[in-house]
Amino acid sequence: MLSLLILVPLAGLLLLNLPFTPAMKRTAWAFAFTVALAQVAMVLVAPAAAWSQQGFLAQYFSFGLEAKDLTRVLLLAIGIVMATTLMVGRSMITDDRQQFNFVNLLLVSIIGMNGVVLVTDLFSLYVFLEVTSVSSFILIAFNRDLGGLEGAFKYLILSAVATVLMLTGVALLMLVAGGTSFETVAAAMKTSGGITISQMAVGAFVCGLFIKGGLVPFHGWLPDAYSSAPAPVSILLAGIVTKVSGIYALVRLATSVFPASGAMNEVLMVVGAASIIVGALAALGQHDLKRMLAYSSISQMGYIVLGLGCGTPLGIVGAVFHLFNHAIFKTLLFVNSAAIEQRTGTTDMNRMGGLGSRMPVTGVTSTIAALSTAGVPPLAGFWSKLIIVIALWQAHDYGFAGIAVLMSVVTLAYLLLMQRRIFFGKTSPEHAGVREAAAGVVVPELVLAALTVAVGLLFPWVLNTFMLPVGGIFH
Amino acid sequence: MLPDAPELLSLFGIGVVLTLLVGFYSVLTSQNLIRTLIGMEVLTKGVTLLIIVVGYVVGQIALAQALAITLIIIEVAVIVVAVGIVLCVHKHTNSIDTRDLGNLKG
Repeated sequence: MLSLLILVPLAGLLLLNLPFTPAMKRTAWAFAFTVALAQVAMVLVAPAAAWSQQGFLAQYFSFGLEAKDLTRVLLLAIGIVMATTLMVGRSMITDDRQQFNFVNLLLVSIIGMNGVVLVTDLFSLYVFLEVTSVSSFILIAFNRDLGGLEGAFKYLILSAVATVLMLTGVALLMLVAGGTSFETVAAAMKTSGGITISQMAVGAFVCGLFIKGGLVPFHGWLPDAYSSAPAPVSILLAGIVTKVSGIYALVRLATSVFPASGAMNEVLMVVGAASIIVGALAALGQHDLKRMLAYSSISQMGYIVLGLGCGTPLGIVGAVFHLFNHAIFKTLLFVNSAAIEQRTGTTDMNRMGGLGSRMPVTGVTSTIAALSTAGVPPLAGFWSKLIIVIALWQAHDYGFAGIAVLMSVVTLAYLLLMQRRIFFGKTSPEHAGVREAAAGVVVPELVLAALTVAVGLLFPWVLNTFMLPVGGIFH
Repeated sequence: MLPDAPELLSLFGIGVVLTLLVGFYSVLTSQNLIRTLIGMEVLTKGVTLLIIVVGYVVGQIALAQALAITLIIIEVAVIVVAVGIVLCVHKHTNSIDTRDLGNLKG
């Protein structure tokens, strides 16, 4: 059952690209959209039995897949963001051929991300990370404009360096453990986690993941890649790709494979706090909307890593909860920027103003997402940040808790600045004829805004059903 | 572990470290996009060598072989995309110098 999450998109990809099926090419978008929605449905309604790897398929395709509670949260986020990207892409990419290519690349991306969250082997993890990255490189350079090519090349080179670091880590761990599966490595780490080679290996691997996740001081590629990519691709990258390939892998490995050590947690907390501060301060100074949102992403990733570095179950719950919430509201903010780009043709905030009355839905949903990002109750972002701050306080990390709270205020500052520059004030004559964005963009905006509000209001139910089990599996 | 493991590891270890250093140097200092990619390839070759040596030393030669071959295949996919990007850049700017590629800042 689990291998279907990888095999169905793969089979679809092959069938759609057979030379004698021109009629099927027109169904590509519908197929990909169905795959994304089926994934969401599977997470929400599938019985527990569906989550074990058995039966006919397991005999032939045993990748050693496994779905823990953490994985299910991520699968849900992947499905939601993928469906959003497909809808926005359909509305913004008008050329039929281009759209077919776009859908194919998204299918590759969904295979890669589902693989990353399901595998239980360090080397398979690398393989699926690379599948995700390669489709991201092509997607960033999708329009073949110079900016996109530059962003893609920077991402590619830094990603290659990350790959080399991670593979060095894998090779050294193999030397210590004699294998690469999570189980073998975790067992070997219990006995020989303290020796220099395993520490070097863990250090190299974690550095690689920091680069992939765009955390300070390895964040150089992220604003370039996000801001130069076409609008639908930015949604995908910011919404889920960097989270799955950097942060999820970090959470999974730090909690159940690598040895829990004080030094490791210290590094995670320092990197997290640095990301929060640098991301938020850099976001204050941006005038390009997408670049500002990219720096905001770095800052929010910092919160996740800070919660993870706390090391307590509550901290990990907060980190995963914030991971999910951030996937929803950052996707929403990037959909808003896509709507604005679609109607005004620019992402420069200095040239905007007064769009609130012209684009009411975009304006209102953007406000909801911004308040949720800044952590204003009762929206979703408030609860996850609250959990992270409480966890830090309980672990006696008062300094880091203070940074987390203070930087929330800065977050609110730059997001309100963004709201004022784009939606409030007088409409410039340049944008006098601007209308609300097309239905393909407005519908995802409304759904995502509803999700943010719903997760915030139904917080106890969400916490008990999805998040607390995540904290439980690590013990 | 084999009896000659320490000698093997130190011998090949020096080779791996040198290869990685050459690769990093090339990636960091080169202002030519193609040379940057060559540096990237050299880096990957160093890691491949490390995996094979480690596999031999711990007696998991079949596993190491599988990993090395998978690694090579993935590397081909990545380098094809990378060269495609460089080709497109060349079409735009008529050069493959990194200094012509600095529009994104801030």
